[in-house]
Amino acid sequence: MRNKLYIGLLILAFIFQGSFIRVEAAKQIDYKSAEFKAVAQQFACTCGCGQDHYECDPNTCSLTTDFKKDLVEMMNKGWDKDKIREYYVNIYGEEILTSPEKSGFSLTAWILPFVVLGAAAIAVFMIIRKWVKKRGTEEAVSEYEDTKDEVEGEILSSMIDEERKKYL
Amino acid sequence: MYLFANATIYIGLAIAIYTLLILTLGISTKNQRFINSGKGGVIALLVCSSLAMLSLFYLLASSQFQYEYVHDYTSSELPIIYKLTALWAGNAGSLLLWTFFLTLYTVMIVFSRKMRGNPMVPYISAILMANAVFFFFILGFVAKPFVLLNEIPIEGKGLNPMLQNPGMIIHPVTLYLGYVGLAIPFAFAMAALILKNVDDFWIKMTRRWTIIAWLFLSLGNIFGGQWAYVELGWGGYWAWDPVENASFMPWLTATAFLHSVMIQERKNMLKIWNISLIIVSYALTLFGTFLVRSGVLTSVHAFANSNLGLYFLIFMGIAVILALYVLMSRYNLLKRSAGEFNSFVSKESSFLVNNLLLVGAAFAVFWGTIFPLVSEAVRGTKVTVGLPFFNKVEAPILLSMMFVMAVCPMLAWQRSTVKNLRKNFLIPSILAVVGMILMVVLGIQKAWAVIGYGVIILLLVTHYLEFYRGVKARRKMTKEAPLVALYRLMIRNRRRYGGYIVHLGIAFITMGIIGSQNYDLETMKTVALGQSIELKDYRINYDRLDQKKEGINDIVYADVTVFRNGKKLGTFQPEKVFYGNWEQPSSEVAIISSVKEDLYIVLSAWEDDGKATFVVKVNPMMNWLWFGSFMIVIGALFAIWNGKYQNVTPRYTGVRREVS
Repeated sequence: MRNKLYIGLLILAFIFQGSFIRVEAAKQIDYKSAEFKAVAQQFACTCGCGQDHYECDPNTCSLTTDFKKDLVEMMNKGWDKDKIREYYVNIYGEEILTSPEKSGFSLTAWILPFVVLGAAAIAVFMIIRKWVKKRGTEEAVSEYEDTKDEVEGEILSSMIDEERKKYL
Repeated sequence: MYLFANATIYIGLAIAIYTLLILTLGISTKNQRFINSGKGGVIALLVCSSLAMLSLFYLLASSQFQYEYVHDYTSSELPIIYKLTALWAGNAGSLLLWTFFLTLYTVMIVFSRKMRGNPMVPYISAILMANAVFFFFILGFVAKPFVLLNEIPIEGKGLNPMLQNPGMIIHPVTLYLGYVGLAIPFAFAMAALILKNVDDFWIKMTRRWTIIAWLFLSLGNIFGGQWAYVELGWGGYWAWDPVENASFMPWLTATAFLHSVMIQERKNMLKIWNISLIIVSYALTLFGTFLVRSGVLTSVHAFANSNLGLYFLIFMGIAVILALYVLMSRYNLLKRSAGEFNSFVSKESSFLVNNLLLVGAAFAVFWGTIFPLVSEAVRGTKVTVGLPFFNKVEAPILLSMMFVMAVCPMLAWQRSTVKNLRKNFLIPSILAVVGMILMVVLGIQKAWAVIGYGVIILLLVTHYLEFYRGVKARRKMTKEAPLVALYRLMIRNRRRYGGYIVHLGIAFITMGIIGSQNYDLETMKTVALGQSIELKDYRINYDRLDQKKEGINDIVYADVTVFRNGKKLGTFQPEKVFYGNWEQPSSEVAIISSVKEDLYIVLSAWEDDGKATFVVKVNPMMNWLWFGSFMIVIGALFAIWNGKYQNVTPRYTGVRREVS
């Protein structure tokens, strides 16, 4: 009986010790640290502040206070930011994220700007080629003077303008 | 007062309609008397909008809470300056400000010396009057500034404390000046198309007004960022919020126009493209207003949701369709004078790449901003597109833009030969590479930072060489002293050197952004009295916690002594303000600024036993960002300043009409 009591106490102590360590460990994570930022910045706060859970002030938003605690708990379990992300997306869907997923329809958010830019770049290239070709067939291009001459030319013409204004 | 104030709006609407009609009639019948009557109408409209503004200022200043607007945005204890600036705190007031600027700009153009006798004037006035009709209609029927409440409340709701900041006095004003300013190039473009004349005069005037609008848009964004930094307590300055995006998009497209118009000026090319950019910039100002005032997107900017946005969308739709119709009807005329390029490697080509990237960046912002709506429409899921998305997508595009900005000044017009390239780029490239290696050796190893700073070194060197060569060439001819030569060189070509100053400003801003985004440090700690927080080279001693009363507000503050490398920097007081008439408290941060970095201290929370929680940030190179912003303003002002040596505005050479 006594042995059972000891074992029971030992188990209880172990449990408490475990939770104590966990709490201690949880306290060690700075809400403004880079590691917490990497995790919390992924999630949008739904209190209406328009911020993510890294920026949202726990003193004015009870929602982010609990959310931050949960994040710390998960981080203490050794979950990385991708696993935590996956966990929340499974529960709340993509709406909880601060940026769209890089899969499915949301992928278009990421790639379309570059696809459009690429297509426009090709179009610009074709246009310049067309204009250059057009020029090439009309007359041979003379070597253009270097920038120094261009600057000198501009200065000279501005001086001539100035002189002209004096007399006209 | 009620009758008078409302009369200014409804009479204004009637005058705007009359002016639009009489101008249209004058144009179609070629009757100068009608046009003159329209010009009178333009002045009368300015009088109406000014009186409406004065009326609202008076009502706000004298705390007449029987008016809904005064009740909603002010309270009796509010300092007089904020009572007045509450004019642009809400929908109706800010649209009244917009209308006032529109009428002011219209009068400035119609009666400007340069436009005297110009046949474009009636067209420009008519187009701006169409805008004025829309805004007066909105003020008269949708967002009414002078609505009386059923009961007279003894006190108002007060102004959001966040808006009680000097930055907020000027930020909306400059932003609206920028927004409205873009209607002017649009009106010039439409008038030119209708008159079938996109000549040098048009380029000169349009560019000038675009720079003015661009300058105000830049100022609006800068002041907004500065306000966010000092007032919101999050230590940032740009959040890619839909409202911010709404002002950034037209800024990008207007910047693109300011560059591509140079090709039109030099080579008489890209006319359709340039006019399209003006139309897009103008449309984006309306589209942005639609986005942020309709409530379709969540924003940190607290505009009341209303059906106002829908009106803007409809107006924008009509304006764009009409503009495209006019553009298409003149397509052959604009296309006819197309020129050609000499080479792939030339200043002209680099301007096209510049346009590609700027418009690409604008598209990326646009796409990211509307993607939540697209996603909801397609899948029924309204996703959030926030800061991580925009940072990732915009960073490579804008960095490429910086590279083009660095290279472009050194490229020759028409054609850059291999010899020319070697001569111009060898030294800057070597210096940039050496700089990048040095950075890596000294511990700056984040790829974006190294590449970004490398590009900026290239930019600084190429721009220095531009100034150096200009001075050298001038001295060769005039034998002036170097500083005299530099001064005369710059004032005789304000546009070019003003542009370079803006480039340098952008470089400083980029340095600030890269530094503050990549190397910021932050901590949040709870400490007992007498204890300290250490971050980087700083030690912050927590000395005292106390509270005081200022008017109806309670302020809790902490005294902290800051040391840097053991040397005392002083005692500072971060505060938390609890407002008598506002639920949310706000933080007054303590910022200790230096050239290298800002130390940013926020008092976050406290306990009964005196323990307090502080958020402490080190934001590197913030002052570089503000200095760059200052340079942008100086550069833009330098470029548009009408100095003694300013080139004479080219004479209007278009078709002559009987009316002007």
